Amino acid sequence: MAGRADTAAARRRWLLLTPALLVLIFAASGPLLIVVVYSFLTPGDYGGIEWMFSTDAWFNVVASRDFFDETVTWNDAHLSIFWRSVKLSLMTTLACFIFGLPTAYFIATRPKGQRDFWMLLIIIPFWTNLLIRTFAVMEIIRNEGVVNTFLINMGVIQEPIQMLFTDFAIMVGMTYVYLPLMVLPIYASLERLDFSLVEASYDLYARRWRVLRRVILPLAKPGMIAGSILVFVPSLGAYVTPRVLGGGKNLMLGNLIELQFGQGRNWPLGAALSITLLAIVMVALLIYVRQAEREGSHG
Amino acid sequence: MIEVTNVTKTFGSGADAFTALKEVSVTIRQNEFFTLLGPSGCGKTTLLRTIAGFIDPTSGSLSLEGRDILGDPPYLRPVNTVFQNYALFPHMTVAQNVGFGLEMLDKPRSEVQATVREMLELVKMTQLADRQTSEISGGQQQRVALARALAPKPKVLLLDEPLSALDFKLRKEMQIELKRLQSETGITFVFVTHDQEEALTMSDRIAVMNEGRILQIGGPRDIYDHPAERFVADFIGDTNFVEGTIRAIDGEAAEVELPSGKTVASRRQEGGPQAGAVTIAVRPEHATLQAGEGLLSGTLSNIVYFGTDTHYHITLDDGHAFVIRRQNQPDARESYAVGDAVGVSFAPGVAQVLRD
Ligand SMILES: Nc1ncnc2c1ncn2[C@@H]1O[C@H](COP(=O)(O)OP(=O)(O)OP(=O)(O)O)[C@@H](O)[C@H]1O
Ligand SMILES: [Mg+2]
Repeated sequence: MAGRADTAAARRRWLLLTPALLVLIFAASGPLLIVVVYSFLTPGDYGGIEWMFSTDAWFNVVASRDFFDETVTWNDAHLSIFWRSVKLSLMTTLACFIFGLPTAYFIATRPKGQRDFWMLLIIIPFWTNLLIRTFAVMEIIRNEGVVNTFLINMGVIQEPIQMLFTDFAIMVGMTYVYLPLMVLPIYASLERLDFSLVEASYDLYARRWRVLRRVILPLAKPGMIAGSILVFVPSLGAYVTPRVLGGGKNLMLGNLIELQFGQGRNWPLGAALSITLLAIVMVALLIYVRQAEREGSHG
Repeated sequence: MIEVTNVTKTFGSGADAFTALKEVSVTIRQNEFFTLLGPSGCGKTTLLRTIAGFIDPTSGSLSLEGRDILGDPPYLRPVNTVFQNYALFPHMTVAQNVGFGLEMLDKPRSEVQATVREMLELVKMTQLADRQTSEISGGQQQRVALARALAPKPKVLLLDEPLSALDFKLRKEMQIELKRLQSETGITFVFVTHDQEEALTMSDRIAVMNEGRILQIGGPRDIYDHPAERFVADFIGDTNFVEGTIRAIDGEAAEVELPSGKTVASRRQEGGPQAGAVTIAVRPEHATLQAGEGLLSGTLSNIVYFGTDTHYHITLDDGHAFVIRRQNQPDARESYAVGDAVGVSFAPGVAQVLRD
């Protein structure tokens, strides 16, 4: 009797889980599987794939074979793009952190009634199309843009500073675009912080800076970790921002992948690069979370 | 040692303005266990937080050992607080919590460790030094909060209802514990509670507060036996109130005519009423019951047996109620019955003339 009720309950539980499982299978695992399979096939002449097993795509991710004498060398173009992607994403994460932490702190320390207003200001840009936001950044930093015009008019510089179409431009753009992803989780953890802990540390002879370093920041750590991940991951795969602000010569991984599926007509390579990107993200997250945990438990 | 002089604190402004402290003056002496007692919302926490430095008073002054400390931020005042919710740092161990204050004072590591050990021993928490604060019970958290506040050896320890979250038994234990800690460390304690029994049993002196004012300051006996105001008499213990008229005064003594026409020698406070209609207060256990005539007379309306004592409810001739409490003796028979005509008497000097 009880056994039958149990199996009925178990069956119902599975039934209720079905939608979630279906989404997981078809929206996450399925496409991923397809990408993995494609990366081991041969490119078709006009894009697409031919059903012929090949490891060329994976070989081409990191290496290249000379067309004439068949010598194997590192694929410098790809490696430099990997490196630029990781570097720019790390810098973007750092910049978002540097701007996002004080912003989140500022909002969390406003009176309750005002916080929503400040949060709204942070979130509003999110309602605008990514492309438009990116063009707005372009408008600010291009040679005839707001910054250069201002500096020239002030007499600080004679010639405009070339900012657009540089790595710096990509970083500024991504920082601007992803900043809310850093502010929101940090704000959430700061807002939950029990203010009497801050009072307790003042009471125990800690001055402002030490209260921040010894009490507030450690307690906001989960938010900072979440924010860093939320910024780093999409930065690494960013595609619109580097395309617009990098001017086509400063590629990032996202652009390289897009290129293979478009003009490059090399879907297997694109697929292999996508999985490489995924791997970089996973490794980075693992290292990061390990590190954060170790620091957490020691201090 | 701590001098609070005419401190007023108004929160907000305009129509929302609320004055939580009104011209509060009090002197707290070296090494004493001083209690702020009053109902919820009377301003106890506000006064405590003013001393700690978290609240800037609207007016008035505050000094510690003769030095004005109003301008000092909390981290410069040699005063530590045991918070009502303990406010232990959740990301630190018990020992790290206790050592925090000393670390912030940049004491050498060896001294910090030695003091932490000493403090943990004092509150009997040595075993749990390396636990996370989320992994200890409420009573243990309470002890850690105490140790943390005591570790930097402050001149004054402020305690905001530190026992209110504990269950009855633990509460009794911690009351004794607190007294012990206070006498062992010799630190001045300023203790906040709204529990009159706690205040009476633990304090050297008590300040009774209501609606932002201090109504009376004195030792537990003084406050209980000689309440100055109706609120104090009512808030602490049970009291009978009797209307009367002052016939004569002489310093602290006053001749008060009772509704029965008889007069009784009562006590009055310096600065209390000098003449006219007054209210006097008589504690139930300070009055005696007798058959026939007394200072006041009435009928016995109820007898309630409580084990340790018996309460006699009397309806006086003028209709007011009066309660007498009498300690029970072994094997004593009840000699009164409901409906008896009885008299109520109290010794000269027992009745207290109240300031209204
Ligand atoms: N920051 C504030 N803004 C406005 N009003 C306040 C503020 N802090 C306290 N009050 C008001 O001041 C009064 C006294 O508050 P306080 O916290 O000192 O009371 P309390 O005696 O400690 O009460 P309890 O026993 O409930 O803790 C209350 O009416 C409270 O609403
Ligand atoms: Mg309070």
